[in-house]
Amino acid sequence: MGQVCLEREEEAACVIMCASVKYNIRGPALIPRMKSKHRIYYITLFSIVLLGLIATGMFQFWPHSIESSSDWSVEKRSVRDVPVVRLPADSPIPERGDLSCRMHTCFDVYRCGFNPKNKIKVYIYSLKKYVDDFGVPVSNTISREYNELLTAISDSDYYTDDISRACLFVPSIDVLNQNTLRIKETAQALAQLSRWDRGTNHLLFNMLPGGPPDYNTALDVPRDRALLAGGGFSTWTYRQGYDVSIPVYSPLSAEVDLPEKGPGPRRYFLLSSQMAVHPEYREDLEALQARHGEAVLVLDKCTNLSEGVLSVRRRCHKHQVFDYPQVLQEATFCVVLRGARLGQAVLSDVLRAGCVPVVIADSYVLPFSEVLDWKRASVVVPEEKMSEVYSILQSVPQRQIEEMQRQARWFWEAYFQSIKAIALATLQIINDRIYPYAALSYEEWNDPPTVKRGSVSNPLFLPLIPPQSQGFTAIVLTYDRVESLFRVITEVSKVPSLSKLLVVWNNQNKNPPEDSLWPKIRVPLKVVRTAENKLSNRFFPYDEIETEAVLAIDDDIIMLTSDELQFGYEVWREFPDRLVGYPGRLHLWDHEMNKWKYESEWTNEVSMVLTGAAFYHKYFNYLYTYKMPGDIKNWVDAHMNCEDIAMNFLVANVTGKAVIKVTPRKKFKCPECTAIDGLSLDQTHMVERSECINKFASVFGTMPLKVVEHRADPVLYKDDFPEKLKSFPNIGSL
Amino acid sequence: MQSWRGKSLWLALSASWLLVLLRVFPLLRLAVPARPWASAPQGWPHWLDTELLPSFSQPGELPEDAPQPPQAPRGGGCDWGACFDASKCRTGGLKVFVHPVAGPISAAHRKILASIESSRYHTASPEEACLLLFLSLEVPAGECSPVPQQWNGGRNHLVLDLHPAPCPQTFQLGRAMVAKASPTADTFRPGFDVALPLLPEAHPLRGGAPGQLRQHSPHPGVPLLALAEERGRWRTAGTDPSACPWDGRCEQDRGPEQTHPGGTLPNATFCLIPSHRPDALHFLQALQAGCIPVLLSPRWELPFSEVIDWTKAAIVADERLPFQVLAALQEMPLTRVLALRQQTQFLWDAYFSSVEKVMHTTLEIIQDRIFGASAHASLLWNSPPGALLALPTFSTSPSDFPFYHLQRGSRPVGRFSALIWVGAPGQPPLKLIQAVAGSQNCAQVSDRFFPHRAISTDAILSLDGHSSVTTSEVDFAFLVWQSFPERMVGFLTWNHFWDEAQGGWGYTAERANEFSMVLTSAAFYHRYYHTLFTHSLPKALRTLADEAPTCVDILMNFLVAAVTKLPPIKVPYGKQHLEATPPLVPGGPEPQPTARDCINQMAAGFGYMPLVSSRLRLDPVLFKDPVSVLRKKYRSLEKP
Repeated sequence: MGQVCLEREEEAACVIMCASVKYNIRGPALIPRMKSKHRIYYITLFSIVLLGLIATGMFQFWPHSIESSSDWSVEKRSVRDVPVVRLPADSPIPERGDLSCRMHTCFDVYRCGFNPKNKIKVYIYSLKKYVDDFGVPVSNTISREYNELLTAISDSDYYTDDISRACLFVPSIDVLNQNTLRIKETAQALAQLSRWDRGTNHLLFNMLPGGPPDYNTALDVPRDRALLAGGGFSTWTYRQGYDVSIPVYSPLSAEVDLPEKGPGPRRYFLLSSQMAVHPEYREDLEALQARHGEAVLVLDKCTNLSEGVLSVRRRCHKHQVFDYPQVLQEATFCVVLRGARLGQAVLSDVLRAGCVPVVIADSYVLPFSEVLDWKRASVVVPEEKMSEVYSILQSVPQRQIEEMQRQARWFWEAYFQSIKAIALATLQIINDRIYPYAALSYEEWNDPPTVKRGSVSNPLFLPLIPPQSQGFTAIVLTYDRVESLFRVITEVSKVPSLSKLLVVWNNQNKNPPEDSLWPKIRVPLKVVRTAENKLSNRFFPYDEIETEAVLAIDDDIIMLTSDELQFGYEVWREFPDRLVGYPGRLHLWDHEMNKWKYESEWTNEVSMVLTGAAFYHKYFNYLYTYKMPGDIKNWVDAHMNCEDIAMNFLVANVTGKAVIKVTPRKKFKCPECTAIDGLSLDQTHMVERSECINKFASVFGTMPLKVVEHRADPVLYKDDFPEKLKSFPNIGSL
Repeated sequence: MQSWRGKSLWLALSASWLLVLLRVFPLLRLAVPARPWASAPQGWPHWLDTELLPSFSQPGELPEDAPQPPQAPRGGGCDWGACFDASKCRTGGLKVFVHPVAGPISAAHRKILASIESSRYHTASPEEACLLLFLSLEVPAGECSPVPQQWNGGRNHLVLDLHPAPCPQTFQLGRAMVAKASPTADTFRPGFDVALPLLPEAHPLRGGAPGQLRQHSPHPGVPLLALAEERGRWRTAGTDPSACPWDGRCEQDRGPEQTHPGGTLPNATFCLIPSHRPDALHFLQALQAGCIPVLLSPRWELPFSEVIDWTKAAIVADERLPFQVLAALQEMPLTRVLALRQQTQFLWDAYFSSVEKVMHTTLEIIQDRIFGASAHASLLWNSPPGALLALPTFSTSPSDFPFYHLQRGSRPVGRFSALIWVGAPGQPPLKLIQAVAGSQNCAQVSDRFFPHRAISTDAILSLDGHSSVTTSEVDFAFLVWQSFPERMVGFLTWNHFWDEAQGGWGYTAERANEFSMVLTSAAFYHRYYHTLFTHSLPKALRTLADEAPTCVDILMNFLVAAVTKLPPIKVPYGKQHLEATPPLVPGGPEPQPTARDCINQMAAGFGYMPLVSSRLRLDPVLFKDPVSVLRKKYRSLEKP
């Protein structure tokens, strides 16, 4: 027995075993009497059984130690088994709700406090079943949609299971549909939540508010300060900047498979598909149909459907039967009319069909109107003007209609499609209010992905001509060519608008010359030593750069005249968001090789400028250093080449604009270079540069460079005019 | 026998153990309390019967509710649909009538009246008007302005309340809209009322001071924060977040700061503006200075919030989280700071810099509500040059306008229409037509002054009968125009200058190193400028232009420069002998003085001098380079 217990690994199993041994008191006496052969046999058998039991025990007790299956982390239980909470009849009821609530008055922002990720934390109360004194349930425990909604929140980044760290609380009491609940008791149930505190920071989701006969436009359950995400708000009940207006989810979204239909003209111009329209409105609609014939289709409930056919999926016009929601795809505009409630699920179906909703519901606050620009996807018509609907819609140009159809479909995909989409958009809106500096922009909310990908947003969009007095900072990247460097410094210092000269000393093995040896110039000269000999050091946004204009210049560019440089700066002032350089280069598509080719011949076109000497905005240094896509920066440093092409790509990609080549200059000829055999060097050089273009184009995923056929010259360049009267006479050499 | 018995005994024993254990384990498992496991977060449970849960609305119930009589559920308040009758505006367009003001009025009010009268929506007859404007005056305490005639319960009325009136509720507003400076957020009715900026008394009528921003990126030495204080003062604060800059909680540690005298503009990257309404005055100051306004829980509605996306130019933060806001400001990426700063300048210049702009914006917002679907898109309101200069009657699609191509990285497609202005009947300029029609980009040529509607292309080549251009000049100029569709691209130029001796603006047609105007006798520009010329310019300026032909050129250049804030573009032109002399007016040997008058009257009409000078000319890439002429695309440009 002792041996067996020594082998034990699992305490509980052992205890049980010992207990049973004790019970069968004769057991131990048997063992010594057995033959050793049998004993081994039994012991083996016994251990196998024991091991099996241990394994089973471990499996049952420590499910969480098994990492592979996430199913184990959440219990599988039935909704019917949730704990029951009895609400005494006299338990407190929250206040009715404060219409003057705003984020800064009713919301406790301290709970959301310090948060490096700028994300609110949302806690979900566990599910309970509430019954009154007589054991009668207060409401359906939970609906399928509300369960989906809570699951979506729970699976999102917002979720926390730590109630003390939460900033927003979501009760598990389902108030999506007011008709399915008892108002007073539900309010009591809310009030007894552990962190209720007058409803502060509590978020309720409701899609069908009000009830007969007057149908309030907001949930009637008293909820004190709780935020309400409601479908069907009117401007009278909606607390701007506090509540969130959400769509009424259409269950057809999940049930029906409706392939996308592109924008364009459709069979019917205007369609009304709602079934229970008030007779007065139906009259108006039918009058429209009578007036405009085929173009308008007004559908109604089907009266003569055979049993078993889902009536929600059929609509009729006279004796013609249409499939719903498929019929919506046949119309350009679809009426979304107010019923007893302002919020209608048909809006979701209409958007999905890419039909432009014509919202006829006075004072209705459209879903997510805080962030979505409904003007781009819908037409709102006052109820009074219903008879004029047709002519109002006729005035919308075809191009705008197509844009609206596309936008409608995108709204559905992004914000209406599923309960999850609705829940996450709601939380994002609240998150944007709490962390406004990290909020999504108008474009992020409203632009369809195709537009987002296709357009640029120029970071320097303001038409601003910087004052000439600011001047520019020249940055000279140098390694050890001190003599040539000094000549460059002397030359550049003659340019009137130079305000500072920065030498980037890229040689770690050698110290820069002593102060006394540097040329004496009229502007401040700073030397920056770098930690590593990298090409990208030339494009680093040094703090020493105080001007917006930067002139990047190599330490061997001595041929540029003062006039050329000054004129270059003047041109940059007129185009501060572009690269302004001297020799221009071109990229070409090589049809034989099926790739890009670098071209430095005498061409009529330009798409790049060399940065051996080029003016550009300091901001592009920041972009080059911190925002260069992919591995381009490292690639350039490793190959010690193409940093200028990379800069051309970067600027063109972010601004969508072409470079400006100034003056006729074609080459940076340096006296030292003439000795080298130009031709073979040129060949390998061209191949390498072409490689760069192909590499960068693949990293950017597109070819951002723009080709132009113009260059900038002084106004009177080569004009028949006295040279001495020209502002920049010393321009024109190649 | 014994062993057999032992065996069977053991077997039975093991089996019974097995059974016992199998029974006991589940029980034991239940006995263990369901504790939350610290390691894995316990999310919302996956219910076994998810599929069986009922839907929140039964299919029969959801799409339809019980039909109800059509009644607007409202609480006695007003909104656009309920209280404004737009039908009158839809037929005749927005027409605004201002109720005559009885008694003496202040200078500020006079400016308002003048600016409304200069609007293209103004009408002198109340019958014609679909919007009636009532100016709420500052009256002695206790007294209230009387209700005007034709009040009609306030229907289609806009009560203008630019300066906070001491009389709290002048009279029963009824169904009138209220345009109020910085209204409190509680009483503001979104979509119905209009929030105006709180303007200083001395705000200029038109023109207005330009934005103070001189460079895109913040200067490295500029302090991070400026804090608005009483009486229009600003206090700059260091970047150290530990010295909390508001609430007066850190009075003892004032740090590196100085107090500016009242009225000066803050020089900082961010401007903190406290929540109370008087501080709204600071808001405009910060905007003009290009200092990004950081509004701490404002209790007032931001101006024109209905159309302006303030998240692009300001930050609305919670005053209860000072440290977090400060940290966020410090860590804000440079790209965002740049964008915010530029947007402040654009908004200031487009909507706030003068009383006229503020009032015209107010009317434009109401016009947009009437237009409904064909109103300005958000892009038009929120990107340069702004909605006042992008007329929705021209198009609702941004790509039809000249301004948005470059911003979005696109270029206008298509060809151009040549528009040849022939003054007197006579020999048609055949040679010119031939040259222009020779261009493959030319879509249509007409030698008649024809209606704008007939122009089908975005680009217009404007010529007069005396101009002489070559096909290759036209081709190149058109190509350049496609790269700069918002500017005028021309061959002949003038320059303006400030004439000290005369104390006014002068201009010169002589060849110079600079230019600021191109002549429309040979220039490319966007079709949209015709519409803008006809519909947005004040009537007085247009009559001036009609009277003197030289003024047309100047006015067109003023207009385009005011819109783009950029100089026009000059392209090379071979016929230098036909210099840019102004066309001779028959019977008058003195065109010069008229033109000079013109430029000064225009500058007065605009309120400032919009023209910008340029020192460059765009030439073909190989222009006059010493290479084989065969390589060059625009050879004939170089012929002497």
